[in-house]
Amino acid sequence: MNTRNLLRLFTAAALLLAAVPAMAGDVDAAMVSNTCAGCHGTHGESVGAAPVIAGMSEPYLKSAMMDYKEGTRYSTIMGRIARGYSDEEIEAMAGFFAAQTWTPGKQELDAELAGKGGALHADKGCAMCHGPVGTAPSPTVPNLAGQFAEYLYYQMRDYANPHAAIPTTAMVMRPMCQNLSDEELMSLAHFYASQQ
Amino acid sequence: MSQLNRRSFIKLAGSAGLLGLAGPPLLAHGATKARVVVIGGGYGGAIAAKYLRLADAGIEVTLVEKDPAFVSCPLSNEVLAGDRSIDSLTFGFDGLEGHGVKAVQGEVSEIDAANREVKIKGGGTLPYDYVVVSPGVDFRWDAIDGYDQAATEAMPHAWKAGPQTLLLRKQIEAMADGGTVFITAPPNPFRCPPGPYERAAQIAHYLTRHKPKSKVIILDHKTRFSKQGLFTAGWKRHYGDMISWVSGAEDGKVLAVDPKKGVLITDFSEHKADVANVIPPQRAGAVATRSGLVDDSGWCPVDQRTFESSIHKDVFVIGDSCVAGAMPKSGYAANSQGKVCAAVIAARVNGREPPEPSYVNTCYSLLAPDHGISVAAVYRYEDGNIVAVEGAGGLSPSDASAEIQQREAVYQRSWFRNVTADMFT
Ligand SMILES: Cc1cc2nc3c(=O)[nH]c(=O)nc-3n(C[C@H](O)[C@H](O)[C@H](O)COP(=O)(O)OP(=O)(O)OC[C@H]3O[C@@H](n4cnc5c(N)ncnc54)[C@H](O)[C@@H]3O)c2cc1C
Ligand code: HEC
Ligand code: HEC
Repeated sequence: MNTRNLLRLFTAAALLLAAVPAMAGDVDAAMVSNTCAGCHGTHGESVGAAPVIAGMSEPYLKSAMMDYKEGTRYSTIMGRIARGYSDEEIEAMAGFFAAQTWTPGKQELDAELAGKGGALHADKGCAMCHGPVGTAPSPTVPNLAGQFAEYLYYQMRDYANPHAAIPTTAMVMRPMCQNLSDEELMSLAHFYASQQ
Repeated sequence: MSQLNRRSFIKLAGSAGLLGLAGPPLLAHGATKARVVVIGGGYGGAIAAKYLRLADAGIEVTLVEKDPAFVSCPLSNEVLAGDRSIDSLTFGFDGLEGHGVKAVQGEVSEIDAANREVKIKGGGTLPYDYVVVSPGVDFRWDAIDGYDQAATEAMPHAWKAGPQTLLLRKQIEAMADGGTVFITAPPNPFRCPPGPYERAAQIAHYLTRHKPKSKVIILDHKTRFSKQGLFTAGWKRHYGDMISWVSGAEDGKVLAVDPKKGVLITDFSEHKADVANVIPPQRAGAVATRSGLVDDSGWCPVDQRTFESSIHKDVFVIGDSCVAGAMPKSGYAANSQGKVCAAVIAARVNGREPPEPSYVNTCYSLLAPDHGISVAAVYRYEDGNIVAVEGAGGLSPSDASAEIQQREAVYQRSWFRNVTADMFT
């Protein structure tokens, strides 16, 4: 067994202990969070294209799940999933995933596109909230660095689409994304994804 | 089979000196707290084995799988379309060994619950404190007259992925333009409720490009099926009139076959097939039956909170073989059940109360390479049963734009990569 697995094991064990005692009706953080792994990978370390959620900040994961649950954020599937969990369960998952380590998504990227995206990121004012390379400076802003490009592109398509529900926190990006071409959105996605 | 390391996968079948195998504890530090044997290295078994080790490295886990590598049924319909290789569906057990699971190749003949041991075909036994059984399905060989093991060579079921999938693909490739592919769909309950209908779409996707005068006809035992509205609309949109579906109420039930003549027989008709894909009625995996774990239904009754068999103590049945309330027989359901079961066993080993269970399922289907649809549900345990949480889950919207249909296709392949990484890495 390599060190990484060992480390993971200890994290899992520590989390399990933290969740004990689990009396009937109590929420067990590992139990509810492990249901997500079929789509997001073990401990949230997705191998793509679904987003990496391992190491996601606690307040952001919680607000994302609440937005999906309440229908204030468009999704292909997450709304149908999030409505199945109680607020307490979502709280427990947010703690579980925040305790994992962010693992940048391994993916094939276009360096030229990424280069263009880097310039756009600086020119269009994205860095103001997303920092110089997309690593979240605040816990309410998601980490873009090393996220899967496909997912990021879809997300920006939704920001640009006036018919897609997006949370009020994302509204600032609607006009910004509407003023960018499809290729520019894709470039931005490749830029963020390439920040491993 | 790139990911398989044959050397590290100890071959059990026929070997005599098995007794020592479960003996020495796997970890140098700390004593073995309990010995768990997992039967079947598929969607349920691989997960139960890995999550047991993640929960408590003091538990010794031995996984017994009859095949040298696991071949995934999910996405095997893409092999029929010629869009995917069987290699991309094939997984070895090295990753599980990295978690400290002892993976051995052998076919379990039966579980001797009285003596708490698992018997391997060809000799050898594995003693256990707990055993997890996830052998998938077996076919009801007596259900369709003339459809026996030998008939599968002429009329493949391709409902267990591997050589059967490749055989069906070969037959479809060899068929002349203008031919008819028949798919017979079984009665409920069966493995992968949307599977036969996704298969029709994938075969039609191939035929449209290569043999456009051909037809696909589904003869169904049932009068309705999973995601029916979405499938019917998708078939029409992508393949025009190529696919037709015959309900069980309209003479769709296949009662007998003649494999030599390629004929399928229903109450009132005989159909001559150019390719016949017979998906037979199903029951729990044969090892569950041989071990006395099934009831009259042919499936394994369990405590739906823990997956412990209602018949034998300390024996847990997960995946397709068990009766799991509102959950369908799917890969994601087996994954979710494996985790609940692992948490229960880890709790028992450590003298704790098992946690409140939580379960999920999502089945994606590909109507075309860039058109995915899904059905999802989240479940809880209530009054002895697994029930779907109200207000959650459901189907993809029928008015989804082409962009969203394409996204769902991307996320279906993403699901496959992540769920298999969850099992094998
Ligand atoms: C065409 C098709 C498409 C599908 N698509 C999807 C999909 O998109 N999504 C989804 O969620 N599900 C899908 N499914 C369903 C999914 O394949 C099953 O529900 C899932 O594999 C069940 O898991 P399991 O662990 O019960 O059985 P399996 O995954 O079949 O694993 C059982 C394992 O046990 C082994 N075994 C059996 N008997 C013994 C024995 N006596 N000794 C040792 N080993 C033994 C077998 O060799 C096998 O490896 C599909 C199924 C089909 C046929
Ligand atoms: C059936 C697959 C599936 C399951 C199960 C699933 N997810 Fe997701 N998740 C997705 C997909 C796909 C997206 C992208 C949004 C969309 O289209 O639904 C996503 C998006 C997300 C996001 C947004 C990430 C971001 O950067 O904003 C979060 C957070 C999330 N999921 C958390 C979870 C949690 C927690 C669970 C377990 C309760 C879970 N998911 C279960 C497929 C899934
Ligand atoms: C005023 C601050 C602000 C600015 C400026 C801003 N963003 Fe954001 N961004 C956010 C916040 C907050 C979120 C999370 C929204 C939510 O809660 O769902 C976000 C989310 C995102 C996401 C989705 C990440 C995920 O994991 O789902 C992408 C992609 C993104 N921003 C790209 C951009 C780009 C490109 C620009 C510049 C064109 C930009 N943002 C400008 C604040 C900002």
